[in-house]
Amino acid sequence: MDNFIFGRYLPGHSIIHQMSPQSKLLLCFYFVAIIFLANNVASYAVLAVLIIAAIILSGISIGFFIRGIRPLIWLIIFTVLLQVFFSSGGKVLWHWGPFSVSDLSLINGGYIFVRFLLIIMISTVLTLTTAPLAIADGVQTILRPLKKLHFPVDTLALMLSIALRFVPTLMDEMITIMNAQRSRGVDFGSGSLKHRIKVAVPLLIPLFTGAINHAEELSTAMEARGFTDSESRTKYRVYNWQLSDTIAWLIFIAVGIIVFLVRK
Amino acid sequence: MAGQIKFQNVNYVYHEDSPDAHQALKDINLTLTEGSFTAIIGHTGSGKSTLIQHINALIKPTSGEVSVGDYVITHKTTNKNLRPLRQKVGMVFQFPEKQIFEETVIKDIMFGPLNYGATEAEAKQAALNAMDLVGLPQQYQDQSPIDLSGGQMRRVAIAGVLAMNPSILILDEPTAGLDPRGHADIMALVARLHDEMGITIILVTHQMDDVVQYAEQVVVMSHGEITKQGSPQDIFADLKWVRQMQLTLPTSAEFAEQLKLAGFPLPSRPLTLTDLTNAILTELGANHG
Amino acid sequence: MTNIVTVSHLSFEYPDEHVVFNDLSLNVKQGEWLAIIGQNGSGKSTLAKLMDGLLEPAGGQIMVSGLPVDEEHLGAVRNQIGMVFQNPDNQFVGATVEEDVAFGLENRQVSREQMGPIIEDSLKAVNMLDFRERIPANLSGGQKQRVAIAGIIAVRPQILILDEATSMLDPRGRKEIISLIQTLKQQEDLTVISITHDINEAAVADRIMLLNNGQLVLEDTPDKVLNNPELLKNDGLDVPFASQLAEQLRKAGVSLPDQYLNDEEVIKWLVKLNSKM
Repeated sequence: MDNFIFGRYLPGHSIIHQMSPQSKLLLCFYFVAIIFLANNVASYAVLAVLIIAAIILSGISIGFFIRGIRPLIWLIIFTVLLQVFFSSGGKVLWHWGPFSVSDLSLINGGYIFVRFLLIIMISTVLTLTTAPLAIADGVQTILRPLKKLHFPVDTLALMLSIALRFVPTLMDEMITIMNAQRSRGVDFGSGSLKHRIKVAVPLLIPLFTGAINHAEELSTAMEARGFTDSESRTKYRVYNWQLSDTIAWLIFIAVGIIVFLVRK
Repeated sequence: MAGQIKFQNVNYVYHEDSPDAHQALKDINLTLTEGSFTAIIGHTGSGKSTLIQHINALIKPTSGEVSVGDYVITHKTTNKNLRPLRQKVGMVFQFPEKQIFEETVIKDIMFGPLNYGATEAEAKQAALNAMDLVGLPQQYQDQSPIDLSGGQMRRVAIAGVLAMNPSILILDEPTAGLDPRGHADIMALVARLHDEMGITIILVTHQMDDVVQYAEQVVVMSHGEITKQGSPQDIFADLKWVRQMQLTLPTSAEFAEQLKLAGFPLPSRPLTLTDLTNAILTELGANHG
Repeated sequence: MTNIVTVSHLSFEYPDEHVVFNDLSLNVKQGEWLAIIGQNGSGKSTLAKLMDGLLEPAGGQIMVSGLPVDEEHLGAVRNQIGMVFQNPDNQFVGATVEEDVAFGLENRQVSREQMGPIIEDSLKAVNMLDFRERIPANLSGGQKQRVAIAGIIAVRPQILILDEATSMLDPRGRKEIISLIQTLKQQEDLTVISITHDINEAAVADRIMLLNNGQLVLEDTPDKVLNNPELLKNDGLDVPFASQLAEQLRKAGVSLPDQYLNDEEVIKWLVKLNSKM
């Protein structure tokens, strides 16, 4: 659990940390789009170089990064194996019952593996260098145009930001409740599926009760502090477009063009 | 029986192999004898919680070993076969009412004994005894815990730990957030468990008045290390050190300091109201006599 | 002195028909520090929420700075009152210290340019400026309460209600918050209503009201209320340390005056007695 870094944030002052969240988010989407454009070794190599450069610039040690995404690699390998065994077409190399492996499915499997890996890497760079709240703000900025359609962008952003603010609190509570129940003889994380479901009850009920309490008291406190509705408020926290954003966009666009040129 | 608790060269590193790793415990050596009453003090983040969670192997040392009676816990200890240890070491966490999850009081208190293999009838008997101990009338047994007051819920939670019949009881600020009456009730219960039932008590607290009133020995922690260990008298003897560690003095000692500053001589450092009264009377008597 | 809050013939019950108040009337004077004490369940927190319009009374009326506390005046009433609640975690809305202080300002649509200096001043006033970029998970309970107070003085209310604001803090944290409020009360010209079961917090008030079962049992100056150990004990409250000591000394024959004495007064008397020889 401790090594699992997907979704975690590591504070820092690297050039990647300083970019505005909205542009990091959009670059992420853009990157994922180019991943699907890539279709040969050369184009994937270009993307791999870009992502490795991003990791180095973020100041996060490569070893830590790899250790952190390792648990997810098993998930990808599983998906890839499904793809390899169950896809059809190409020259069949091996088969047994409903399983068959062809040259084409192997190549496709390899590409899927690389795609998955690249997507996980870019999103991990995003979350490691961007505070969860900044991501929420990024989403809000990106969705702003929808306000004209009376879409409650600000309400959504405030909800998201409060939810994120309570993640550490609830995590702490979860650990304490688990420890308390362990001390009362509960054995989490082992035994049959039925046992595991059964032991989730003494964890989940207190956790939900706690969360509801937080929510109730928090809404009272917010009301007392003059909160009425979230669409008519000013905003203190703003992220401005940085020089690093402009540079990053130029690089990403260049990479997009290169990928387009080297693909089959 | 429980036997003694012993920490030998215990180190604990939190988030090992991650950029935000930090050492939460540094070279802890500590022996707590059977039946003793120990208070652990130190400001937030000093390592108190990490220390106590080693005693029932919720946390395993990164190096060194912890022994509880015959039970030895090292970094190699797995989560298997921990039950006998955890049954023997009762743990009351801060705001323990948060662990309550069953729909009735009695069921929640029976939860621990049932997990440790008691029969339904045994667990019920243990739960009723525990309710008795903490002073919850039996008519509460079929009530929903959410209908109880904060102080009563806390007692249900503590009963849930006592029902397992532990020989060591660890309490992390058991009176936090209670009103004065609730506070007094819980501390009286802890004292009774120690005095009458011989349970080894380890109390984590910020309340220095409770420390001097109940504890036989005090362990002071700071930055993951034990900085001082001794009787309450030893701990509060060196005023400069107490201030430097940002500890508060017991109310009587603080009052005595003010009294001295105002020019009333007091040769000793009284830690309780009785000590202070006697010290004042002695001084007045000596002057009058 | 004029009354800044008047509660007249207030009645209130919770949805489970548990009656909290039945015809309660009281006044809070402008500029005073009023402590409302009583054990858990006495109704003191409910009263605070009624004053701020967070709960709706079943009958009677509450006026705050001349405004009735009702649907129509809710915004105006809440501009007058700042509330600090018991659980430090459950009132911290912002992701960081400065953003939490900004919350009330954002609600009142203060412009971004104006917010900066207000936030800085407010954090300075509670001694938390160095922590402005910290996240709540890395703050102690006492520090979170300071931030809550900063968020309140940022919007400049007239009345500060402490709803058991110190009950989850350690003794040091309690002392620090109380002395902070004493300073701020002066600086900001506040009326303070502290809802508490901590006798030391009540002792610094100008006036104490004792609630029991939704009834106003006693309303007097601290030296009168605190000189009634029987009453305090019956209500599940502590007797101030100085009173306990004075009581012990009197029993042993020391001639201390038979009235409430605070710490300084007991010390003064003892020094005087000792030097008489």
